[in-house]
Amino acid sequence: MALIEVSKVSKRFKTYDRKEGVWGGIQNLFRRNPREVRAVDDVSFTVDAGEMVGYIGANGAGKSTTIKMLTGILVPSSGSIRANGYVPYRDRHQYTRGIGVVFGQRTQLWWDIAVVESFQLLKRIYDVSDRDFEEQLEIFDAVLNLKPLLYTPVRKLSLGERMRCDLAAAFLHRPRIVFLDEPTIGLDVVAKENIRQFLKRINAELQVTVVLTTHDLSDIEELCRRVLIIDRGHLLFDGSLEGLRERFECKSQIVFELREPGQVDFGRLGFNSSVEFQQLDALRCQAVFDKKQVASAELIKSIVNSLAVRDVTLDDTTIEEIVREIYSRGEVVPS
Amino acid sequence: MNVTPYIAFARIAFLKILAYRLRYYTGIVTYMVNVSVYYFIWKALYRGKESLGEFTFEEMITYVSVGFIIRTFYFNNIDREIANDILLGHIAAKMTRPVNYQWMNIAQAAGESFFRLFMFTVPTALAILVVFPLRAPASPYSALAFLAALLFSFMVFAALNFLVGTCAVYLHSILGLIRAKYFLVEILSGLLIPISFFPDALAEISRWLPFQLISFTPLMIYMGKFQGEQLVTSFLLGLGWTLVLVGLGHWFWRKAATKLTVQGG
Repeated sequence: MALIEVSKVSKRFKTYDRKEGVWGGIQNLFRRNPREVRAVDDVSFTVDAGEMVGYIGANGAGKSTTIKMLTGILVPSSGSIRANGYVPYRDRHQYTRGIGVVFGQRTQLWWDIAVVESFQLLKRIYDVSDRDFEEQLEIFDAVLNLKPLLYTPVRKLSLGERMRCDLAAAFLHRPRIVFLDEPTIGLDVVAKENIRQFLKRINAELQVTVVLTTHDLSDIEELCRRVLIIDRGHLLFDGSLEGLRERFECKSQIVFELREPGQVDFGRLGFNSSVEFQQLDALRCQAVFDKKQVASAELIKSIVNSLAVRDVTLDDTTIEEIVREIYSRGEVVPS
Repeated sequence: MNVTPYIAFARIAFLKILAYRLRYYTGIVTYMVNVSVYYFIWKALYRGKESLGEFTFEEMITYVSVGFIIRTFYFNNIDREIANDILLGHIAAKMTRPVNYQWMNIAQAAGESFFRLFMFTVPTALAILVVFPLRAPASPYSALAFLAALLFSFMVFAALNFLVGTCAVYLHSILGLIRAKYFLVEILSGLLIPISFFPDALAEISRWLPFQLISFTPLMIYMGKFQGEQLVTSFLLGLGWTLVLVGLGHWFWRKAATKLTVQGG
């Protein structure tokens, strides 16, 4: 059964447009121009227990708003959400006992005091027994190397260190669902890897359901089997990563370099319109094609046999490119 | 309600104050300066007079000094903290904890007050005692009643601040409101001038408002001017207003929480 059920959820905000300039400022004192913004518009999806789902979208697409509704902070303007058997905003008190949350942009720990004090406070808030507490800390320490950080005030930690502590804090009370809002934002490669390893292990070993938003698509590629794409409040895609590739990866490209500069007659290769050739400069040429129609091996063979080439490189569309494409189009084109 | 987490919040607040030493030392000096200023103002006002209203000069100095001394105990910044939570978006993380936001804030304020009682109130009292001639509580009985009244002054102050802070959900920037409340409380609580010095109409109204419970009531009890029936009335008033203001805060926050928008990110 689905652990999280989101059906037809919308969130509308009212904002006020401000007029510019001094006279505009004075006008603003007396009259405001309300404008309705739909941050999330008619979004539905479900998440099963134990899943790790990636939720992606450009800045302002509605990711964080969705997460905030899922965690019970914001009340949906319409539609309904059920998670772990509760309506998040209504049953906030009971519901939040079973979830963990990390907002990558700000810490959940107490800024001025040692990390361990924050953990102690969380232990008391969630009623974690001494034994479980020690045990959890051991598990986290093994992956996140927490012990050296425990007695430092949060404000003196580096971003990577802080995020390790924040993650540990979110999992401390063994939540069933964890929401991670951009957990790897601003981190270096090593720190990112560290955190991904941790999430993988926790998800596998403790069966925690994880919903994470990110800008870094390599997070998704490494962690999630399933991905949701949201843009301008609309859910554009819901499915597996392979599905996303299959659906959008129409174009691959081969770049090849000639032995000697010269003009190439592409007609000789005999692919007609199925491959789009282009001479980039005197030496380099490009062939763009659809993998479903043309086998790349065939194309490479033909190029190598008919032309004097020095080098051939094959580029597959990355998830990143697919997503960039989706963002710029703002819609899913059925394939 | 399980109280353990709230005790933990109080403890954290205690630790937080300890993190900043300078703020602690400057705090004591500030209160010394405050009392000194009022000492000289009243000295000027009493020149050539035995007493003003029901207060002798010595009583007035005691009133003002003890007023500032207990202010080190009951004072808190709940309103400012809520405004910050909302303005900077920290509210998001706090809402994802299974705790009551109002009691979390009050518990943190209590932790701070407990800290201040030992590290602030007592040293400030000693420092002021060395310089200015203060009277002792009127009787051991008044002293006890005074300590009990301080609980109400803390609760009323905290509950009021929570109400003001919650307005930030609707107004976003409430610095002006906070300032206005600050001055209103300083006057109406009787911190600056005893309420009995107010014009009759205002004094009569103030007698039923919650503000006097913060400063005037405990001070009058300390000086033995509230006794017997008047003492009972002020305790009932304290209890009543505490319940009303906390209840109002609870209701207001529940309403406001559904209107919450989170700034940034």
